[in-house]
Amino acid sequence: MVPTNIKNFDTLVVGGGIAGLQAALDLGDQGYKVAIVEKDASIGGKMIRLSKVFPTLDCASCITTPKMSAASHHENITLFTYCDLTSLNHEGQGIKALITQKPRYVDPIKCIGCRQCEYICPVHVSDAEQGDFSARKAISIPFSTAIPQLPILDVEHCMLCGQCEKTCPTHAIDYFQKPEEFIIQAKTAVITTGFDLLPVKNNFQYGNGHIPNVIDSMQMERILAPHGPYNRVLRPSDGMEPDSIAYVQCAGSRDKSMGVPYCSRVCCMYAIKQAMLLSGSLPLADIIIYYMDIRAFGKGYEQFYQNAKAMGIEFVKAKVARIDKGENGSAIVRYENQDGSGIATADHDLVVLSMGMIPGWDPRSICPVSKDSDQFITSIKPKISPVLTNMAGLFVAGVAAGPKDIVDTITESGSAAMEAAKFMSNSHMEN
Amino acid sequence: MKNPDNDKEKEAKKAAMKTLRAQRKDLIASASSRMKTQKKDIKAIKEFLKGKKATIPDIAEGIDMPKDETLWYIATMKKYGQIVEAEKEGAFFNYSLNEPEKTQEKEEV
Ligand SMILES: Cc1cc2nc3c(=O)[nH]c(=O)nc-3n(C[C@H](O)[C@H](O)[C@H](O)COP(=O)(O)OP(=O)(O)OC[C@H]3O[C@@H](n4cnc5c(N)ncnc54)[C@H](O)[C@@H]3O)c2cc1C
Repeated sequence: MVPTNIKNFDTLVVGGGIAGLQAALDLGDQGYKVAIVEKDASIGGKMIRLSKVFPTLDCASCITTPKMSAASHHENITLFTYCDLTSLNHEGQGIKALITQKPRYVDPIKCIGCRQCEYICPVHVSDAEQGDFSARKAISIPFSTAIPQLPILDVEHCMLCGQCEKTCPTHAIDYFQKPEEFIIQAKTAVITTGFDLLPVKNNFQYGNGHIPNVIDSMQMERILAPHGPYNRVLRPSDGMEPDSIAYVQCAGSRDKSMGVPYCSRVCCMYAIKQAMLLSGSLPLADIIIYYMDIRAFGKGYEQFYQNAKAMGIEFVKAKVARIDKGENGSAIVRYENQDGSGIATADHDLVVLSMGMIPGWDPRSICPVSKDSDQFITSIKPKISPVLTNMAGLFVAGVAAGPKDIVDTITESGSAAMEAAKFMSNSHMEN
Repeated sequence: MKNPDNDKEKEAKKAAMKTLRAQRKDLIASASSRMKTQKKDIKAIKEFLKGKKATIPDIAEGIDMPKDETLWYIATMKKYGQIVEAEKEGAFFNYSLNEPEKTQEKEEV
């Protein structure tokens, strides 16, 4: 059945990470009506889940929350969170998207975000938002700075005990909510679907995720975050404060066998950032970065790298061949020194894998926009206007077009907003 | 005075909940069994920490639970205000019950 609920906007932004928020704000501020469609329960993307950001070491949530809040309160921006994009195609002069609002089982109008439902719920579920190092409840608000502050009832883990419904002071729980389809028609669209990390479970040499205390870089961001699972740096296997922490660079990136032959561009810098933060919280710990080469490409990045070395972080030019389980929760790193001194092994309390970035969305069978050989969205003019795609009126920004840092993401989003505005004013003049 | 419309609504809701429970039978069964295990585990941690503080390895040994699982529970209980962190002992932190929370939490468990 074709949905009859049609909403009209000037621009549809797909993805509510920092790229999508910036593009929406830049268009909204010019008077364009913008819809942001986000698949997660909150906007903010990866940036709101980071601890601090290189090279300034600003607190990530302190600089992301104002943008999230500005978008959610903007008179020209409408947020559609917890939504699936089913199709996105040209129609007539513009763009038509079919979207499904997934049920939260909570009435968004009645809910006041008081979390009483979450506190009373008796079922604990491993919390992916905290790297699976602690639990949430079967009904919970995703994280403390989430926007909107609405809980999601996780049907997979709900006993239907009725406690949340009884406790809710505004009678907002609705066990019978159903998915709702609607259509967004817009003149233009901006794709800002970002990235995911290559899953550790695909990495055989590094233990497929089965070696205790071998974690990925997003998990380390959570451990370092002020509202992280432990509120301090601890080893997940036993709560020990680690004394020796290693970073394995290019874990999955620049590796054809992993399907990620390209460089993910930000891993060197975020590993250096995390190492600096660790050295701040654990001044006596040994922190080692095993790297192939350091790519400190941005403004102030080389200085950041030099500062890390001056702080005592050890950089070992080596390719890590494999990681094995050691004694008492340690992990044994086997590496080949690049200075010709051969193969060596080292024991570490905690090992962080800088996994490669892969696209956050596959347009196949949803949208005819073309992908590059790296599977990110193709820029048809990568040099002079990297935000243009092969579909007229559809632009791309941020990591959806290829790995990049926040600075480049924000710049590209401004450019995508400008191209979208230009497209709309040109088609207005033609009509 | 009793409102017959209200009664009808209540009956309809009850019937609808019954149908929903039947539809989600398997999910409910696995969630219930998980909840029961968790309730037992949390109770064991609380019993163990009654009147004392302990590190993750101590708690794990005391209640015969894997250390990573013990930390998972302690991190969760800390988040929901049932546990507080105490001083460090070697490379480990101690944890104790959050006393003011104790009475309130009793109702939950
Ligand atoms: C561990 C780590 C640390 C980092 N630290 C730093 C740092 O310190 N400084 C720095 O400059 N950069 C850092 N980065 C890079 C930074 O995270 C990215 O540059 C930035 O997040 C890119 O923003 P984005 O909006 O393009 O993508 P994302 O943040 O991935 O946002 C994309 C959004 O789109 C949504 N989405 C995806 N598919 C769909 C769909 N089909 N429909 C609707 N919504 C969808 C996602 O849910 C998400 O909310 C780090 C990266 C990692 C992995």
